[in-house]
Amino acid sequence: MKPFFRRNSMLLISLLVLIALFAFAGRGMGSKDFVITMLRGLSVGAVTFLVASGFSLIFGLLDVLNLAQGTLYMIGAYIGWTMYIRPDTFMDLVPLLALMVSGFALNGVWNIVVGHIHLNPKVQRIIPWTLIALSLALFAIILPKYPIAIWDLNNYAQSPVTYSFMADQGTRLPVTPAVFSQISPFLAFGGLLLASMLFAFAVSLFGHAAQAQGRLKVKNFVPLAIVLIVAMVGYVFNNTLTNFFLGMDTTVLFLISVLVAALSGAALGGLMETVLIRPLYSRPIYQLMLTIGLSAIGVQIVQAIWGRNEFIMPKPSLFAGSGGACPASSLASWLQNHCSTIWLLGGRVRVYDEIFIPLVGIIVLIAVWILLKRTRLGMVIRAGVQDREMVEALGINVRRVFTMVFALGVGLATFGGSLAAPSTGLSNAMGESLLLSALIALAIGGLTSYPGAALGSLLVGFIQQFIIKYGQIGIPIPFTDIVFKPSPPIVPASTVLLMVIVLLILPHGLLGKKE
Amino acid sequence: MTNILEVQGIHTFIGRYHILQGVDVSVPEGSITALLGRNGAGKTTTLKSVLGLRSVREGSILFDGKPVHGMRSFDIAALGIGFVPEHRAIFRDLSVEENLKIAERHKGDLANKRDFIFDLFPDLKKFLAMPGLSLSGGQQQMLAIARALIADNRLLLIDEPSEGLAPVIIEHMISVIRQLSKKSTVLLVEQNFLVASKLAEYYVIIEEGRSVKAGKMSDLVNDRAAIHQYLGAA
Repeated sequence: MKPFFRRNSMLLISLLVLIALFAFAGRGMGSKDFVITMLRGLSVGAVTFLVASGFSLIFGLLDVLNLAQGTLYMIGAYIGWTMYIRPDTFMDLVPLLALMVSGFALNGVWNIVVGHIHLNPKVQRIIPWTLIALSLALFAIILPKYPIAIWDLNNYAQSPVTYSFMADQGTRLPVTPAVFSQISPFLAFGGLLLASMLFAFAVSLFGHAAQAQGRLKVKNFVPLAIVLIVAMVGYVFNNTLTNFFLGMDTTVLFLISVLVAALSGAALGGLMETVLIRPLYSRPIYQLMLTIGLSAIGVQIVQAIWGRNEFIMPKPSLFAGSGGACPASSLASWLQNHCSTIWLLGGRVRVYDEIFIPLVGIIVLIAVWILLKRTRLGMVIRAGVQDREMVEALGINVRRVFTMVFALGVGLATFGGSLAAPSTGLSNAMGESLLLSALIALAIGGLTSYPGAALGSLLVGFIQQFIIKYGQIGIPIPFTDIVFKPSPPIVPASTVLLMVIVLLILPHGLLGKKE
Repeated sequence: MTNILEVQGIHTFIGRYHILQGVDVSVPEGSITALLGRNGAGKTTTLKSVLGLRSVREGSILFDGKPVHGMRSFDIAALGIGFVPEHRAIFRDLSVEENLKIAERHKGDLANKRDFIFDLFPDLKKFLAMPGLSLSGGQQQMLAIARALIADNRLLLIDEPSEGLAPVIIEHMISVIRQLSKKSTVLLVEQNFLVASKLAEYYVIIEEGRSVKAGKMSDLVNDRAAIHQYLGAA
C-alpha cells in the first residue's frame, strides 16, 4: 500500500486539492444551488466524456489525433434528429447508403483478387485513379436523380426549424413520399452498386503490397449479402417502415434514433479509417491536416443539408410531461406523470438533462470499461496501445482492431451528439466548443488514459457549471463588500486555467502515464 | 534433414537505409540455429524480416516450403512462428495471465499448455495476477518465452535472450531453451558467444548486412581465427 501512495503522491494531493476546491466553492451557495450545479456539471461532463473517450481510444491505439471528433459529434446530433423527426427521409436514405458502401462489404474479396494481380508499377498507379474517377462520375450522374423526401431549406414552412417546432407541439407536418421519376430504380440501384464496387476495388489496389493470399470462400460474400438485404428491405418496405416509426411512442423512437446515430457514426468511422486514415499512418502531419479538413467539410455538408439555422430536438415523451402534477415530487410520481422536471433536495432538476444524460454517461463509461478490461478485444486494444508490432507478431490482425477502435471512437461521439441534442438543441457550432472542452479534459486527465478521459471531463463539466452559477449569484470577496460575478467568457478560460495548473504539476495529466 | 526456414538473398530497407544487403539463412527443422555478428550487423532486422515486420524488397523467404515474402506479418506469425523480441516487449499494463492469454490462437491454448509452461517457469504461476511491469528482468524474459509457447509454434525466433540477465538466470534460460527446442525449432540471435555456443548446433554470421559464414557450431568453436575476425572474441 505504501509504495502506491509514494508513487502517486502528486496525483493524490492534486485530487485532494481539487475536491477541497469544489467543496469550498459549494460553501458559497445554498444546498439547492450546489446540487443543481453538480448535476449540471455531471451532465456536461458526461457529454464531454463521450467525445473525449472516443478521442482517447483512437489516439491511444492508432496515434491519430482525430480533430474531426467534434464535427462527428455534431453530425451524430443531426442524424439522430433526422431519424427522430423525419423517419421517412431516413428510410429513403437506407437503400441509397447501403448501396453506396456495398463495395466495401467485399473488402475481403478485393484483397484476395488484388493479391493475384501482378501489374507493372506504372499501370498500378494509373488504374486505381481511373476507377475512382469512373466511380465518382457514376455517383454524380445517379445521385441528383435519386428520390429522397426531404425538407426544404428555402421554404420556412417546410424547413427543419418548422418540423422541429411542430413535433415539439405534438403534431407532425404531413410529408409527401418520394418516388422514382427521373431514373428507373433498377438503373439507379445497378449504377450505385457498380460505382461502389469500382471505388472499393480501387482503394484495395492502393494497398497492393500487403494483400492477403488465399482463396475466395463463401464467407467473403456474406457482408455483401447483408448489405444488399438491408437495401432491398429498405426499398420494398419503405412506406410500411416509415409509418411504423411515425406511429411509435417518441421515447422508443428516440432510443432508436440514438442507436441509429451511434451505428451510423461507427460505420462512418470504419469507412474513414479504411479509406482515408490508413494510407497515412506513416505521415502523421497529413493525418492531422486530413482530420481538420474533414471537420470543415463535415460542417459544410451539415449546413448544405440541414441549413445554418439552429433548431431544437423535442424531448422524448418520457421526459416531456407537464401539468398540475409536475414537477414530480418523487420518483414514483415522475414515473407516473413523466414530468420534465423533478424536485430534488429542494431544487428543481430537469430529468433529461441532469439525470438521464449523466446516467447514460455512467453506463457508457462502465460498458466501455468492461469491453476494455474483460474482453479479448479490450485486451488486444490495451496491448496495442503499448506495442503494436508485438501484437501483430503474435498473429493478431491489428489493422482490423484499428478499424474497430476508430469505429467505436466515432460511434461514441455521434452517440453523444444525438444524446445531447434534446438538451442543447442543434447548431452548426455545437461540435467546435465541445471538441475544445474534450481536448482540455483529455489534457487534464491524461491523453491516452480512459479513466483519465472520464475524470478530466467531469472536472471540466464541474468547473464550467460552477463558474456559470457564480456568474449568477456572485462571489463575495473576503474582507470587502465587493461581489465578483464571473462573466461568460471566463467559462472556457477557467477550464484552460485548470489545464495549465494540472499540467504544470503533472505534465502527463492526472492519470496519464510517462511514455 | 529438411529446412523449416529458408532465407535467400534478402534485402531490407529501413527508411532510406539499406540494412540487409543479401542475407541467407537456412534453419534445419528441430535444430537450434544462432545468428551471430557484431552490434548493428543486421541480426534483429533479419528476424523481423522473416516475420514481415520489416518489408523485404528483394530475395525470398520460405517457411515450411511456402513463400511468405510479402504476406502480412500477422498471417506469417499465424503459420506457426513465435517471436521473443529483444527487450522482451512485455505488455506492462496487462497481467501476467493476460500476457499469456493474448498469444492464444485458439480458445483454450493457455489451458492446454498450463502444466508445461508452469513446469518450465514456476515463478510465473506465483505472479499470474500481477501486471507485467512488476516482474524482474529475468521473469520478463521467461514470460516473453512462455508467451511464444502458448500457440503451437513450429519455429521460435528468439532475440538476445541473455541480454541484461544475471549469470545464474542465464543458466536457467539456457536449460529452458534446450528443453523447448525438443518441441520447436529455434532461430536465436545472441551477442554472447558463450551462450550461443552452448545452445546452437548451427550458426550463421552476419556482417554489415550480409551473411558471411555459416555452418556447424562445433566447427566454429574450434575456429578461433573466424571468431576473432567476425565476432571480436578470442
